[in-house]
Amino acid sequence: MKTIIPPYLQKGDTIGIVAPAGFMAIEKMQSCIDALDSWGYTVQLGATTHSSSQNYFSGTDDERLNDLQQMLNDKNIKAILCARGGYGTSRIIDGIDFEKFSKHPKWIIGFSDITVLHSHIFSNYKIASMHAPMAAAFNDGELANPYIESLKNALEGKPSHYECPSHAFNNAGEAKGQLVGGNLSLLCHLIGTDSDIKTKNKILFLEDVGEYLYNVDRMMLQLKRSGKLDKLAGLIIGGFTDSKDTERPFGKSVYDIIYEQVNKFDYPICFGFPVSHEKENYALKVGERYTLHVGESVSLIERP
Amino acid sequence: MNRKSFLGTASALVGGITIPFKNSFAENNSDYLICKKPPYLKSNDVIGITAPAGFITQEEIQPAVQVMESWGYKIQVGDTIGKKDFTFGGTDDERLNDFQKMLDDPKIKAIMCARGGYGSIRIVDRINWTKFKARPKWIIGFSDITVLHNHIHNNFQIASIHSKMTNSFPDDWSTAEPIQIETIISIQDALSGRKMKYSAIPNTNNKEGIAEGVLIGGNLKTIETLSATASDIKTGGKILFVEDTGEYLYSIDRMFWNLKRTGKLKNLKALIVGGFRIKPDDPGEEFGKTIEEIVLEKIKNYNYPVCFDFPVGHQKNNFALKCGVKHRLSVKENEVTLTEII
Repeated sequence: MKTIIPPYLQKGDTIGIVAPAGFMAIEKMQSCIDALDSWGYTVQLGATTHSSSQNYFSGTDDERLNDLQQMLNDKNIKAILCARGGYGTSRIIDGIDFEKFSKHPKWIIGFSDITVLHSHIFSNYKIASMHAPMAAAFNDGELANPYIESLKNALEGKPSHYECPSHAFNNAGEAKGQLVGGNLSLLCHLIGTDSDIKTKNKILFLEDVGEYLYNVDRMMLQLKRSGKLDKLAGLIIGGFTDSKDTERPFGKSVYDIIYEQVNKFDYPICFGFPVSHEKENYALKVGERYTLHVGESVSLIERP
Repeated sequence: MNRKSFLGTASALVGGITIPFKNSFAENNSDYLICKKPPYLKSNDVIGITAPAGFITQEEIQPAVQVMESWGYKIQVGDTIGKKDFTFGGTDDERLNDFQKMLDDPKIKAIMCARGGYGSIRIVDRINWTKFKARPKWIIGFSDITVLHNHIHNNFQIASIHSKMTNSFPDDWSTAEPIQIETIISIQDALSGRKMKYSAIPNTNNKEGIAEGVLIGGNLKTIETLSATASDIKTGGKILFVEDTGEYLYSIDRMFWNLKRTGKLKNLKALIVGGFRIKPDDPGEEFGKTIEEIVLEKIKNYNYPVCFDFPVGHQKNNFALKCGVKHRLSVKENEVTLTEII
């Protein structure tokens, strides 16, 4: 089934910023707000961006839900950028009314915990969304880096053409298909729920941060055992940064662990693609068609 | 009267016309979920000890060996005890072969997993269950061993024992705390076929009521990672118990959402919340909800009984529970009991 691509943004269009999960101080969003402004967009700040919450979340479930719901329903808002991830989207996902959104799709932007929204929206409404840097990525003078630039280009509708170096674990070949994926922990957390993604004939991308090695092993096995790896068109392994080890060492690197679970498959696989919790995090459109070419170098080309 | 022999006699009398019995089964709607029980252990029966997940030394299992021998059982120590492949009790092949050998050996009447850790999931799909299905035996353990309990429950409907493992036997029985002794004795009770009965300290957040159903469950994180795999459990009509350790509150919250969103909380007979040793929130990241609040908000639309602080989990008060066996949970203001009923 063909994916619905929300309209790309025009100068002067409004981007809403919300925090559907963890708390973030408004000061930490300022560089992002300024950048979006300098790109020619009007920024509308949701109530959760200046929350007085004293706990983990950027507001109560109702506050976070209402803020996101209002932005989804507001026809004037052409894209919604999630300020940060953390944890919390799972708590409100089943309360969101996607009716107006599905009639008037708009870009939902974010990653990490926002994987819940990407997967849910693509699975249920076949609407593309944007796995991309969030507000914190604009800080510390990173405005001009190619990853922030990739978000700018994605919003404007310029088809992307990403390249990255080869990796010893890569499996060469070419794959064409719709792109799905995101944060491995969240993708596993969604398995068996209404937000679960189907991966057959798709290019799947995975990234994660701060996970125990044994847990990455267990999650890769869950993907495999739930049938999510065997019929892929291609597989993109992004950054798995800040992995933690147990007191008794696991004895393998995080890429060793992933490679062990995927090396029997004959579809193209690349490791070290710049999608991650680090600076290296290209904007990727979940649901859009891409061609993954894995050879002496790796390229991922949108709508080839 | 033994229910099974009663039915056997009755159906012999009516000459194969078993429809009335089927109807009575249908009325008592969860009876069909009851699992086959492996034979209980007798004196001189053999218990095998193997390490399907994390590694353990010969020395570490000695207290368990001695105590179980004192119960009149013979102990067969598997090849994986004392083996070490990084965090594992041997390579995947070694752990698989050791477990397989014990599963297939008709002399071994029960298999106690030496400890949890991580690793059962890496071998579960390669285990050949043919002989085990024909001649069930008790599989004993918890934590990572939840993989085996749930796989066996989902695929073969054979009962198993969720309990402490060799690494939880006190080094010195004479100086052990009463709760350590009681919980270890509960393994003997379960293995020898005593009807089990447990009580929990009432928690003001409990939801009162009485429910009967097959008991199933285990480690919450493990249950989540089995979702939509061949080892996933169906919880409808059952009493579900969960426990976990070392997880952040947000992660526990996310796991309970997974249970809810995969439909595992909807048609329960009852929910038993065991111990949750919580990893403290990082400064500035306070989650702001208790474990009771996390659970109760997920089940606010359901009417079954719920109890907290049940003595199961990564803690001293971790009693042996028979997975796949029917129990009655009674949650009252001043008293919480779980009783094996068939």
